[in-house]
Amino acid sequence: MSACRETDLDALLAGELSPEDAARVDAHVDTCPACRHAMTWLRLERGWMAQRARRTPARPALDFAALEARLSRPAARPWVPLRGAWTNWGRMLMAATAAVAFVGLSLTQTQGGVTSLVDEPFGRDARSSLMGEACEDPSREAVAALEASLGACLVASPLISSR
Amino acid sequence: MVLAGAPPSDMDRERTLLRRARAGDPAAFRTLFERHAPAVWRFLRDLLRDEAAADEATQETFVRAHGRLGALRDEDRLGAWLLGIARHVYLESRRSRGVHVDVDDEAHASRVEAVLPTPTPEDLLLDRELEGLLSEALGMLREDRRAALLLRIDHGLPYEEIASVMGWSLQKVKNEIHRARLQLREQLAAHVGGRP
Repeated sequence: MSACRETDLDALLAGELSPEDAARVDAHVDTCPACRHAMTWLRLERGWMAQRARRTPARPALDFAALEARLSRPAARPWVPLRGAWTNWGRMLMAATAAVAFVGLSLTQTQGGVTSLVDEPFGRDARSSLMGEACEDPSREAVAALEASLGACLVASPLISSR
Repeated sequence: MVLAGAPPSDMDRERTLLRRARAGDPAAFRTLFERHAPAVWRFLRDLLRDEAAADEATQETFVRAHGRLGALRDEDRLGAWLLGIARHVYLESRRSRGVHVDVDDEAHASRVEAVLPTPTPEDLLLDRELEGLLSEALGMLREDRRAALLLRIDHGLPYEEIASVMGWSLQKVKNEIHRARLQLREQLAAHVGGRP
C-alpha cells in the first residue's frame, strides 16, 4: 500500500484485505498519526451506521403479507393484454355497426326497388330488349326458328346477331 | 464414507433459498424478503428522505425482484442486486415527482480533512440527537454521492459492487465516497470529541 490511502484503511476494517496487505496497512497505521485519525473516524462511522441499522423501525412495507397481496394483484392488472382485448372489442363494434348500416341501406333500396330496377343498365327491361334484338335477326331465320322452338336465345352477342 | 460437513454458511443458505425461490417456492422468497427488506427500506428511506415513500418503493423493489429473479446471474450478489433495483425505483420515483434536490457541495470537499477532531470512544454512542444530525448530514450530500456512501458504510458493499450498482468507474466510486465522508465528518465535527 502506498501511504495514507483511506480506501485501504476502510478495506482493512471491512476485512477485505489479504492477510499480507492487512498486516502491511496495520503496520503503517501504527506509525502514521493521520491514518490513526482517519481510522478513528472510520470506526466511528461504522459504529454509528450499525446502531442506526439496528433501529430500523417496523414498517408496513416490511410485512411480507403486504407484498404478497401486491404480488397477487398483477394477474388482474396487466395493461397490455387488457388494452389488446379492448382494441378487439372496438374492432368488433365497428364491424357490427358497418353490418347494421349495410343491412339498413339494403332494405331501404329493396322497398323502392321495383321502380329503381328500371334505371339499372342491365335491368329486366333492358335485358329483354337486348334479347329481342338478337333473336329478331332476319338472316338467321333457321336459328330463330330453333330458338323459338327452344324458347331461348342461342346467340349471345347482339353485334353478331345484327349482321 | 460420508463426512459430516461444516454447517452451511449464511451465503450457502442464501444460495439455496434463492434457487428455491426461483423454482417458485413462496416460503423461500418470503425468507429472502425478510432478510433483505429492512436494508432495502433503510436505503430507500435515506435516498427519498420520506418513510411512507420508502414503504411504497420497497414494495415496488421486491415486486420487480420477484419477477426478475431468473435474471440474477451471480447468486452471491443478491443484496447488491436488490439495492441496485431499489436505486432504479428511487430514480424513477424522483423523476415522476419532479424532485431534484442536489446540494452543491463541491466547495466543502477540499478544506475539511485538516480541521477534523479525533473522536473519542464515547462518541461511538449514537444517541437520538446525534442520529438525527447524522440523517440530516447524509441528506445534505448530493444524491448519487449519498447513495454510494450508504452502499459502503451502511450496506457494506465492496467498491467494485458499488461501481456496478452506480454505473461508475472504480476510481470514481473511491473519489465520491472519500468526498462524501469528508463532508459528513465536517457536518458532525462539532458534535464529536469535545472539540470545536
